[in-house]
Amino acid sequence: MLRSAFTAFFRSFIRHPLYALLNLLGLSFGIAVFITLSLFYRFETSYENWSPERPHIYEMGTRYHFPGMTEDVFMSAMGGLTEEIKTAYPQIESTRDWSNPVIVHKGAEVYNEQIELVDGNFLTFFGVPMLYGDAATALADPSKVVLSVSMARKYFGTVNAVGRIMTLNDEEGLKTYTVSAIIADLPKNTDTKLDMLRLLTPQRTAMEPYTWHNWGSGQLEAYFRFKTPADASAFARQLPAFTDRQIGQKFGTDVTPHKILELVLVPWADKHLIDPKLKAAIISLGVVGIVALVLALINYVNLATARAGLRAREVAVRKTLGAPPATLRLQFLVEALLTMLLAFLVALSLVELSLPLINSAGGLFLKLDYQTDITWLLSVLGIVLAAGLLAALYPAFALAAFKPAQVLASSRTPGGGRMAGFLRVGLAMVQFAAVAVAFVLIMGFMLQIQHIQNADIGFQRDNLMIVQSIRDNAVSQAQRESFIAAARTLPGVSHAAIANAIPGDQSTSNSSNIVRPGQVDSPTLSPTVNWSIVGEDYFQLLGAKVLVGRVFDAQRGEDQKWADDGAGDKSRVYSVVISRRAAKDMGFASPQAALNQPARFNDHQVRIIGVVEDMRFYNPNQPIPPKLYLFDVHASYAVVGMVRYQGLSEPKMREQLRKLWRQIAPDVPFDVTSAADNLDTYYKPERDRTHLFTIGAGIAALIGCIGLYGMAAFNTGRRVREIGVRKVLGASAGQVVGLLLVQFLLPVALASLIAWPLGWLALQRWLMQFDDAIAMPLWIFPVASVVALLIALVTVAGVAFGAARTEPGKALRHE
Amino acid sequence: MTNLIELQNITRLYRSDEVETTALHNISLHIKRGEFVAIMGPSGCGKSTLLNILGTIDRPTAGAYLFDGADLAKMSEKNLAKHRARHLGFIFQSFNLVDDLTIYENIELGLLYRGGIKGGRRQAIEGAMDKVGIAHRARHFPHQLSGGQQQRAAIARAIVGQPDLILADEPTGNLDTENGAQVMEILKSLNKAGATIIMVTHSQSHADQASRQVDILDGQLVASVAQVL
Repeated sequence: MLRSAFTAFFRSFIRHPLYALLNLLGLSFGIAVFITLSLFYRFETSYENWSPERPHIYEMGTRYHFPGMTEDVFMSAMGGLTEEIKTAYPQIESTRDWSNPVIVHKGAEVYNEQIELVDGNFLTFFGVPMLYGDAATALADPSKVVLSVSMARKYFGTVNAVGRIMTLNDEEGLKTYTVSAIIADLPKNTDTKLDMLRLLTPQRTAMEPYTWHNWGSGQLEAYFRFKTPADASAFARQLPAFTDRQIGQKFGTDVTPHKILELVLVPWADKHLIDPKLKAAIISLGVVGIVALVLALINYVNLATARAGLRAREVAVRKTLGAPPATLRLQFLVEALLTMLLAFLVALSLVELSLPLINSAGGLFLKLDYQTDITWLLSVLGIVLAAGLLAALYPAFALAAFKPAQVLASSRTPGGGRMAGFLRVGLAMVQFAAVAVAFVLIMGFMLQIQHIQNADIGFQRDNLMIVQSIRDNAVSQAQRESFIAAARTLPGVSHAAIANAIPGDQSTSNSSNIVRPGQVDSPTLSPTVNWSIVGEDYFQLLGAKVLVGRVFDAQRGEDQKWADDGAGDKSRVYSVVISRRAAKDMGFASPQAALNQPARFNDHQVRIIGVVEDMRFYNPNQPIPPKLYLFDVHASYAVVGMVRYQGLSEPKMREQLRKLWRQIAPDVPFDVTSAADNLDTYYKPERDRTHLFTIGAGIAALIGCIGLYGMAAFNTGRRVREIGVRKVLGASAGQVVGLLLVQFLLPVALASLIAWPLGWLALQRWLMQFDDAIAMPLWIFPVASVVALLIALVTVAGVAFGAARTEPGKALRHE
Repeated sequence: MTNLIELQNITRLYRSDEVETTALHNISLHIKRGEFVAIMGPSGCGKSTLLNILGTIDRPTAGAYLFDGADLAKMSEKNLAKHRARHLGFIFQSFNLVDDLTIYENIELGLLYRGGIKGGRRQAIEGAMDKVGIAHRARHFPHQLSGGQQQRAAIARAIVGQPDLILADEPTGNLDTENGAQVMEILKSLNKAGATIIMVTHSQSHADQASRQVDILDGQLVASVAQVL
């Protein structure tokens, strides 16, 4: 019996290549999209899987409840938090990871790297995979450094670099360290960067007197380990009371501290997708994968039921020969399973071939590893086969239910009755509705992406270089100032300035309350502004629009901010510039109304000397924060340099700056980025996901076309005799084509109408995540429908013309 | 000889939305083992319906159908399928070979649902092919054969399981005179060897070669005449 099923399966491939190809390709494309997006989904949801301790580890995050601040959880903790927790709860296990910049000396060369300052238990806490050295003792001594395989190769040309000496220059100065262990390179799906680690020492801690135990600051990542989730929940429940005890009245007498600063214990496994928008985006792509598979299966059902009609005679013959319906159903299910299996193999090859392209289009690192992924692959195969079997049930039952006497008596191919006809049209409509929704979304996404990339973001993002090296601790104030002064004289440079408000860089972010006279001074009620220190020429360099008043002037002494050491004159009034949004948050009716108004800010009297337009420095998904600028004519704070240039290429500008840097600070590695590249880190993920979506939706559209073509071919095949009769009665080829096209395209046109509300809802939801979203572009709906119709038209036109050209005599003999 | 088939007052009605058609009315007919019965009558008289009921691929609306003493009218679909596999062989006007299978595989279909066969499957198939002279075409597909060859293959498929009854629905209807004559010769030799055959035909000359002719008109049995051959 099975052999007969195999034979029938194999023969139908050989004898009906078009049907087999349509069926196989449709299924394979659908399964390939499903596999790829499953890989993507798995990649995104299995972050930190490298650690065997993943289920037990939690990270402390902070949520700030200030007016004007987002309610997002910031995944950083105060440096001394774990110390305070250890005192109150000695049984709680914790560790810390503080990323610091470091300069590595290798002979005469210097390199910028990132070093993790960690607690001594870090390696055992996470179960970090060790290649050489002992996890328990590798970090016991402050003179030791642990390297990843890549770092060992980079600096020593070998993996086993244990015992080798490394010269590092970081906040604790230029020192030598001995390599004590080598750890494996972590996989790509991790937010934990472990390239170089050393012990977090009391000396280093002592260098942060203002922030280490300053509740509200966030420097590092603090991790906790619990045996069970119940233990973690029990600890989390104690955090509000703990926060209140530790902060006491530091935030004011009338506030409950945990209502302003909420400690949030986040399961480490959930950290990567803690942003609900990102999570929603990942889930949507997962949904696209499922939709593609469903479309492919719909295709299969459509083609299989259509073909069932053509196989009716075979079924009738088998039945007269005594085949019980159950055996026939089994035969068709076996054929379906074989088809799915073959399609799965083709899909795997398609995935292998397309992964490099998908990875580059989506900015991904997906790969299929048949050794480690075998269980996963088998479960995906299981899902595909189970879904395929479910889809094959209908055609199998429909086929086995044919009445042999009727089939054998009729010369016409049975179509499976009115029910099957409706089903086919219904399924084709579902497919094309999905295709039209996909078109609506693709167009909507592209318009939005284009909008945020070209939108007026309040400053000129092109031809702007950001010199990161200026903030290196090894650079002196004199070096900073002379670099900026010299940069201004370089050919092509129009402005150079220093500031700690940098496009695309949120590493130095400060927020404080600002209080106008007569307003309540309270952390929970007073407006909060995000503040930055900027140098001379800053606003001119950015091309910021001054709405009212003026910007800072180095010649005016009152513009200079107070000294950081607390020695500033508290009776003086300092100049500040604010943004439009800050003026609004502070309660001014207009920017004009804010001009020259006094306020209290960080314990000092300030006066608003000007209001500038909002500038979008960060994520386009997030609102532009209210901004306050202080002026520092000296480059005394942790700032970066910015250089505006014209009339020469970016590489040439980089080269000029590099040469200049070499002259002024040869011991510090030169690090420069462009503002456009910096900003692109916010735009790229969205763009990448849109690319992925477009590929997935495009293939779904292709599957829809394959299905429509199959249906057209089948229906036309069934109507050959009718076409012959019509032609005998005098119908022209054009009339026949018109008749067939209307039959095929009507469901597609109706599907478009279903697609409009669905597409509108989906696009609306997606656009809601952007702070600066386009208005719903209504024209894309008819365009999506017209495109879907055109594709359908091209797909079925060939079949319709072919049928219309058939000679009537031949058509009438057709059986 | 014993009765292989007893039809008692068989009636078959077809109902569509508004119309009720009587295809067969009160047909009673006995057929003995080893008989070769030709059913004749004009188009639409109910011949094929009668043959379908005899072949159990259609059920009578009323009446009893006894096959070798067993009442088939009350049998389940599953058991009817078994009955067809064990006891019946079908030959159609339009051959109804499965396009995707070779001649050998098409004949094998006749055994596929039957269970075991005396002397082994391969011998049975080869024996059937030899009987109809189609062995040299075993590896061909139906579309590569002439009409006469296809019908001979279909006959081989009908007889390979050594059925008690062969049902032939206008077996020569799609064939030219020469091929038609060949097919009739095969049927006669099968009958001589003991097979019971019921054949629907339009051709009086072919009907004359049967041992009995049954005439049907408007769904009713009008004559049943034994013929001297």
